[in-house]
Amino acid sequence: MTSTFVWSRPIVAVAVAVFAVTTFAAAQSADQGSLVEVKNGTAAFEVGTNVGAISVHGKSNDLTARLRMRQSPEGAVLEGIEAAVPVKSLGTGMGLRDNHMRKYIFTTSDGQQPDVRFSADKAVCTKADARQSTCELTGNLAIRGTERPFTVVLKVSEDGDTLRAVGDGKVTLSAYGIERPSQLGVTTEDNVKLRFDLTAKQTGSRPVATSGRRQ
Amino acid sequence: MVFRLLTLAITLVVLASRPASALPTMIRIGYMDCASCHISPQGGGPLNAYGRGIDEAQSLRAQDYQPTPDRRLTHDVRLVLQEQGTWNGQTGTNFFRPRLMYRNATNLSRALRVSAIVTAEGADAPRPALSYDPAARPSTLFVNTALLHYRPRESLEFAIGRDQLPSGVNLPDLAIYVRSRNRLGYYDAPTQLKMYWGAKRYHVMPFVYTAGGNEPAGEAETGGGTLAEFDLLGHSRTVAGLTVQRGTASNGDRRMVGAYARVGFGRWGVLAEHDITDRTRNGPTLAAFTQAATYGQVFWAVREWLVASGIGERLTVDAPFEQRLAAGKAEIAARLSSQATIVVGVRFERNLITRRLAKTAVVQTAFKTVK
Repeated sequence: MTSTFVWSRPIVAVAVAVFAVTTFAAAQSADQGSLVEVKNGTAAFEVGTNVGAISVHGKSNDLTARLRMRQSPEGAVLEGIEAAVPVKSLGTGMGLRDNHMRKYIFTTSDGQQPDVRFSADKAVCTKADARQSTCELTGNLAIRGTERPFTVVLKVSEDGDTLRAVGDGKVTLSAYGIERPSQLGVTTEDNVKLRFDLTAKQTGSRPVATSGRRQ
Repeated sequence: MVFRLLTLAITLVVLASRPASALPTMIRIGYMDCASCHISPQGGGPLNAYGRGIDEAQSLRAQDYQPTPDRRLTHDVRLVLQEQGTWNGQTGTNFFRPRLMYRNATNLSRALRVSAIVTAEGADAPRPALSYDPAARPSTLFVNTALLHYRPRESLEFAIGRDQLPSGVNLPDLAIYVRSRNRLGYYDAPTQLKMYWGAKRYHVMPFVYTAGGNEPAGEAETGGGTLAEFDLLGHSRTVAGLTVQRGTASNGDRRMVGAYARVGFGRWGVLAEHDITDRTRNGPTLAAFTQAATYGQVFWAVREWLVASGIGERLTVDAPFEQRLAAGKAEIAARLSSQATIVVGVRFERNLITRRLAKTAVVQTAFKTVK
């Protein structure tokens, strides 16, 4: 075990990005192939430890995403989904812990700290009712340059020109070859829970993320 | 007049008494109870290795902590220097209170340990001397804690010995009404048996207790109670709890029920507690009355090592011991390193019956060794 206080928020951020994308799709109605961009999205993560009373939470408010969206008979279709979270934007509320996180989770062997990225070719959303839809995004999530399959299901609700997307996901550190962070007897679990909660307002034909909520 | 000034000075010393131990403000970054960082799950006393790491990480110096390999003995020496001035509109007093503490936790085996806190002090700081609840007798050399702990597994611990009783929001300031008016002052260390049972989202601490040996005649109390708290949203930042306690003494009984909350939002948070105590006081005629104490604190971590707080308090005691007090406090606490902290605060207390206002300014510096 190496040093402590580290976690994988980037993953969460990516998921949030995906989330946002979905939200946008729900807002785009009959447009064909319109481009949707998300800025300042929020992603949050939580990971438990071997000590019951201790878990680690973190978030980023700097998630960005781009995708194309069009409508099909089955529902909104999202294509060319790309989302990213800068590693330096991830924080747990404790500076030293954040440094450890970046060093031991997100730094490559050559000293680089690439953004956490999510990409998916296509996702189809299904309408649950007039105001809600569900989008399953399946693609690849890259942490410190290593890609692994990643899926997140987002529930998107529409209220006027405001869209809200909520979803949960999970990332396994070992799948990325990342050793579980450990510090002074406290070791994180291998599974990292991701929580996405994003609100967007439609501005003209292009919705833009305006706020996120941390869970 | 001299007596009144002396009483006022003592009261104001108590107002600033804090053992600088538990830090419930850490709820802001997900540390929902004391067990995360303290060897004793009730808080106070030596930090565990992880807690010492957090202590250093949350300081201005913010560097990695390197623990010693000795896992059997954890101890430190703590020096607290407290200077305060008080004005009540007519007179002013200054008070300097130095304290030297030795804190120890020794593992006897994997499941057994002993712990102790011994304080030598240059000035006494008893809680307010109330006619219906006289303060425990102070001592220049005082054993705050002497416990034998049995922890069969991480989430379960039994402890027997002398210590402060478990309390709601568990603030380090012993002068606040919810503590000082419920026998949770600096010299209140009853003999007790208590249990800690915790899990990821809750913990429970039932306890029974009897006299600590330094109570005035007729005030030795026997009783029991429990504390139970729950993380409402499951993210370690929204804790709500209940306390109940019943105590019986020759001079009177008390039954307390309280509710409290610790909520954190990253850089800021809220601590709140409200206790209602039904008391009886024996005498020529039996007096039965109710006491209500309320505490609220909003804190803001300007930096990780620098926390500012705004605090409001209220105390109501019914006749025949009627009292109506309201207090406000502003405080800044700076952790310069894991060895050195400084707290600066001003407090205003108004007697709502006499309309009298007392103002207190406090500077407290604390130094400790870190193993």
